[in-house]
Amino acid sequence: LKILLVEDDPQTSDHLAQGLREDGQRVDIVSDGREGFLRATGEPWDLLIVDRMVPGLDGLDMVRMIRASGITAPVLFLTTLGGIDDRVMGLEAGGDDYLVKPFAFAELIARVHALGRRPWQATRETRLRVADLELDLLSRTTQRGGRGIDLQPREFRLLEYLMRHAGQTVTRTMLLENVWDFHFDPHTNVVETHISRLRGKVDKGFAPELIHTIRGTGYSLRAPS
Amino acid sequence: VPLPKLVHTSSFRLTLLYAALFSLSALILLGVIYGATTYYMTGTIDAAIESDVTELKQALSENGRDRLIVLVEERIQQMPNGPIFYLLEDAAGNSLAGNLPAIGPRTGAFDLNVPSLAPPSERHIAIHIHSVKLTTGDDLMVGADATQLVELKELILSSFGWCFAITLLLAVGGGVVMSGSILRRIESVNRTSRDIMAGNLSRRIPLAGTNDEFDRLAESLNAMLDRTERSLEGMRQVSNDIAHDLRTPLTRLRHRLEFAQRKCQSADELRSAIDHSITETDAILDTFGALLWIAQLEGQGSQRPFVAIDLSELLATVAEVYQSTAEQKAQRILVAAEAALTVSGDRELLTQLFCNLVENAVRHSPSGASIEIGAADRDGVVEVWIADNGPGIPQEARAKVFQRFYRLEASRTTSGNGLGLSLVAAIAALHRIDLALADNAPGLRVLLRFAPAQ
Repeated sequence: LKILLVEDDPQTSDHLAQGLREDGQRVDIVSDGREGFLRATGEPWDLLIVDRMVPGLDGLDMVRMIRASGITAPVLFLTTLGGIDDRVMGLEAGGDDYLVKPFAFAELIARVHALGRRPWQATRETRLRVADLELDLLSRTTQRGGRGIDLQPREFRLLEYLMRHAGQTVTRTMLLENVWDFHFDPHTNVVETHISRLRGKVDKGFAPELIHTIRGTGYSLRAPS
Repeated sequence: VPLPKLVHTSSFRLTLLYAALFSLSALILLGVIYGATTYYMTGTIDAAIESDVTELKQALSENGRDRLIVLVEERIQQMPNGPIFYLLEDAAGNSLAGNLPAIGPRTGAFDLNVPSLAPPSERHIAIHIHSVKLTTGDDLMVGADATQLVELKELILSSFGWCFAITLLLAVGGGVVMSGSILRRIESVNRTSRDIMAGNLSRRIPLAGTNDEFDRLAESLNAMLDRTERSLEGMRQVSNDIAHDLRTPLTRLRHRLEFAQRKCQSADELRSAIDHSITETDAILDTFGALLWIAQLEGQGSQRPFVAIDLSELLATVAEVYQSTAEQKAQRILVAAEAALTVSGDRELLTQLFCNLVENAVRHSPSGASIEIGAADRDGVVEVWIADNGPGIPQEARAKVFQRFYRLEASRTTSGNGLGLSLVAAIAALHRIDLALADNAPGLRVLLRFAPAQ
């Protein structure tokens, strides 16, 4: 992925760029909002990572202007601890996702991957399929290897999210945000419990195993390569 | 208030302007009255004189000069003291008949002041005279008493003068009084601002109790000051909290890192120490974030508009999220909420509020306890309760548990940052939720009553 990182703190931007490059991404860094706007509109990007507070032009305004000039590349906002309204304001300005500093690096990578493949994912499918697991979004039914699987509504949403991001790592926080609509950590094992319940229904008695635990990061649903 | 200061107020200048405009309108009004009155009265006098002159001229042409003299003398006899006066002079200026002093050859209309013919004789009267040259070469002068006209003119002018003087006096006086009272009110605002700038943040502008526009202004300003003070107080509180309560975990973290640096031999040991340190750092950052949230909620609130929220669904989700944690402690969470309850609020904040309350119940209740999450509509007031049969909170501590970092002695050993209930209180206040802690005999019963929808 070709990523533009708009971040004014050199230590943070070096740290992030180094990690992203190790992950195989191409990263350009700018430290100023005005320059960020010029670079973002001047050439095509797969993803913009924008700090909320950058000199020159505030991150929010910068993204608003980028959106106004017709750029649709996904935007991931970074922000320091604080504002109650920050997340909503970021999304309203045209951001696609939002991460509060400090964050685990694995969290950033997982979100970068999720955002990076947005364009082709945006097509409206009515049926998701990974290996022999199938999810019908219209009839809300699931089957694996031709056998029907009975899922609770929450389990269905969880499986849908995992399948939409098949092959990627999704973090616990991403699941809390997208499946439970929780934007803070409730300090419970609700995610773990639901994953294990889902495994019991989707993987137990079938081969191969589709839901994998990525240690220290999250989960991934993928067909064996 | 000193006078020079008064003169420089805008209200004083406005009063003067008003007085000038008022005087101008009075001037125009009096001018019109003066003009109309004198025009009318002069016209009446002129007409009377003219008709007399015409009559006498006709007598001359019909009956001759002697008859004219007789006629004039007859008229004087009829009204020796006016109001019509006559004088007939020959070309040389000798009086042939008449009761006016000798005037000499003059023609046209003119005014003359003469001593009064009637006693008291020291009085002078104004006479308006028409003088015409007769065909005989004599001068006939007929005059009418115009004293009334002159007196009326004087009266109008002098009353105008008085009016003008009184208007100006009242305007300036009123301006001084009005500016003084306005200036006093403004000055009290100024004094308060200076006090506040000097650091006395609790000062407020006194109200006069008249409920006028100044009181309303003062009320708005005071409300603004209240808000600002609360904000500042919140920030000050956060600084204090950080200084006192974040030092401990940071010190602990430092000890742990120092210990790892000195004692850890293998890479595994080091990794484990780093893992622990990251967990501890996250806990500190959580505390930090919670503090900022509370400060923001108490200070300025949220800019997001409230929306209608399906409370029943929200409570079910919260229950679901804590179900597994409760099961690990062999606790049961029961949801007893009426279906389709709707409240107005911020979804994220209300989720946080209920999560904190349920988390508290799960954390502080022993294993085997049961926790009830209930909600009901009581005559338009939506009530939510979260009840457990754990140890509860003693009566005397119930008010204190909402303070930041306050923790019951009994719960010192359990995890938690001591901010959960402070955050609950802040969110409840923002939503105008009445929050009460009660004895569930045994256990704790938290009762939340939403403000009725408008």
